[in-house]
Amino acid sequence: MENKIIIDIKNISKIYQMGEEKVFALRDVSLNICKNEYVAIMGPSGSGKSTLMNILGCLDTPTAGHYMFNENDVSAMDDNDLAEIRNKEIGFVFQTFNLLPRATATKNVELPLVYSGMPSADRLERALKTLENVGLADRAEHKPNELSGGQRQRVAIARALVTTPSIILADEPTGNLDSKTGEEIMKLFNDLWKKGNTIILVTHEEDIALHAGRIIRLRDGLIESDYINHKQVKYD
Amino acid sequence: MTFSEIIENIKLAYDSMRSNKVRSFLASLGVVIGISTVILMGWILSGLQSAMDDTFKIIGVDVIYIDKYDWAGGKKWKETRNRKDITLEQADDFMSLIQTAETAFPTIRDWAGTIKYENNNYKGISILGTTHHHGLTPAGETSQGRYFTPFEEDSKANVVVIGSKVASSIFPNNDALGKDIKIQGHKFMIVGVIKKQGTMMLDFIDNQVFLPLGSFIKVFGKNGRSVSIGVKAGGEEKLDVIREESRGIMRTIRNLHPSEEDDFSINETKAFESQTAQIKLYVWGVGIGMTVLSFIVGIIGIMNIMFVSVTERTKEIGIRKAIGAKSRSILFQVISEATALCIVGALISLFICSAIAYSVATILPKFVPQAEFLKPYLPMELLIIASLVSLFVGVLAGLLPALRAARLDPVEALRFE
Ligand SMILES: Nc1ncnc2c1ncn2[C@@H]1O[C@H](COP(=O)(O)OP(=O)(O)O)[C@@H](O)[C@H]1O
Ligand SMILES: [Mg+2]
Repeated sequence: MENKIIIDIKNISKIYQMGEEKVFALRDVSLNICKNEYVAIMGPSGSGKSTLMNILGCLDTPTAGHYMFNENDVSAMDDNDLAEIRNKEIGFVFQTFNLLPRATATKNVELPLVYSGMPSADRLERALKTLENVGLADRAEHKPNELSGGQRQRVAIARALVTTPSIILADEPTGNLDSKTGEEIMKLFNDLWKKGNTIILVTHEEDIALHAGRIIRLRDGLIESDYINHKQVKYD
Repeated sequence: MTFSEIIENIKLAYDSMRSNKVRSFLASLGVVIGISTVILMGWILSGLQSAMDDTFKIIGVDVIYIDKYDWAGGKKWKETRNRKDITLEQADDFMSLIQTAETAFPTIRDWAGTIKYENNNYKGISILGTTHHHGLTPAGETSQGRYFTPFEEDSKANVVVIGSKVASSIFPNNDALGKDIKIQGHKFMIVGVIKKQGTMMLDFIDNQVFLPLGSFIKVFGKNGRSVSIGVKAGGEEKLDVIREESRGIMRTIRNLHPSEEDDFSINETKAFESQTAQIKLYVWGVGIGMTVLSFIVGIIGIMNIMFVSVTERTKEIGIRKAIGAKSRSILFQVISEATALCIVGALISLFICSAIAYSVATILPKFVPQAEFLKPYLPMELLIIASLVSLFVGVLAGLLPALRAARLDPVEALRFE
């Protein structure tokens, strides 16, 4: 169980054709991620971190290579199947939160369940429970502009968690937060990891990356290094 | 797509409309105008149609009129003018020869007679001499008093049955019965008033008075007037038989050689119908033109707003796709919104048109009696048509913006600011 491979990519490339020129966002990247791993993807700006994350999250498809997700061949899936995988198996957390501005925290958290067809009473119950788990039970009826940055990111995390996905993908989740709030969010990720969640974290900040148990460094679309982080921040 | 998702989309469409009230209103204005045109046009036409139907029923859809002249103007005026008059004797012969008719009645007419009551003259009233058989047809049904009797007919009594328009213009207090009026200097007593029958341009049929045939001849003489013979078939299906029988009898009476053409016309209420059909065609033509135009404007308006709305919400669409919305969910969401705009437009139209129909139909006839045919409510089938049309327009107007939204690449859309 501990070693079950969730993500298995082989020779993934992503090439953007910019006029005459080809931009290699990813070159022949191969990697495995197991259940309940906590992985940080690091690298300078433009090294391909977001591209990799979008591919892992089934938002984007590679130009070449193979991707097995939970033993399903993602490379062979159409848009519809990918949407379903995103809905059921993947929870996204973005740097800019990406909440719907006109919807309350509860409605935002309910949204993935709308697309999985859950009846509205069950949806509400699940959303409230998940908000409670991220410490926002008292903000359920607030709209994003009535919440602080840290609170918005908690709503976004609740939205990612509400479908109990196989992995949580977070692209620079503390990028728009002050360091104290950022630290609180990292504590929340640590809790989630301890509860058995699989987390992939994209960051360019060293001290944020130190929260992960494994660090993968990218440079120019290539994996530069991939190692166990012995100095993991564990809040024990 | 699940039921809860459909409900969610409808709520979304509603929210989006509420948060953009002015824009939504402007967007649906074209649709409001389009649907209002359709409804009002249908309202007028249906009023017209049912008024016509009522009138035709009374004149008799199963009655033919054998006449020197052709009502529909199908024959050349000159040609019919040179025909010999149909004489009273010929009419009598016809009456005794016709077999299958329910009833038949000769009429002889003075087109623009004058009636004198007390010291006032009333001009332009059609004065007819006929038999009591006319009183047995719907056209002779009285609302007050009675038709003249066979006895009054035989004795050439000075009695008269007057049309409703004549009654209302001479006797505004509704007390015509028993009064004496003067026709060509002869006193006639009013024994009956005929039910109101006409509508619109057919209201001349209420502006007639009926005398016993003998009394008419006594007053006007019988020369220089062609008799018209009304023949009631007793059912529309018997019209063909009656028409052929009547033609045969008339040809015999008029001594026509087989090679000669008819020197009389057989007229039917269909002649009126073809005239009103032309009016209806005209109303439809103008109406359809306006409708198509305003729907094009409406569709373009809504499509435009939806394109703006989709562009504005590119990021939102990206978010929805990232958390698992399928393309068809997005497609449905945008189409729902466009359709909701159209349905709101349709509701506004229904409200406006109901108000117009009610107030016009209750107020206008007081000033313009010809407007009496208008009904103070909208026909049910129009409401159904309006709803279907608004659905159709919504789907049509929403389709292209919805396709654009559905095809957005989630990564690109998320990057949109
Ligand atoms: N849509 C795109 N079109 C062209 N080039 C792109 C596109 N997306 C990313 N790239 C290029 O791919 C490379 C990797 O980008 P990205 O994955 O966003 O890097 P990071 O997230 O590490 O900053 C960059 O050189 C970037 O310019
Ligand atoms: Mg990036």
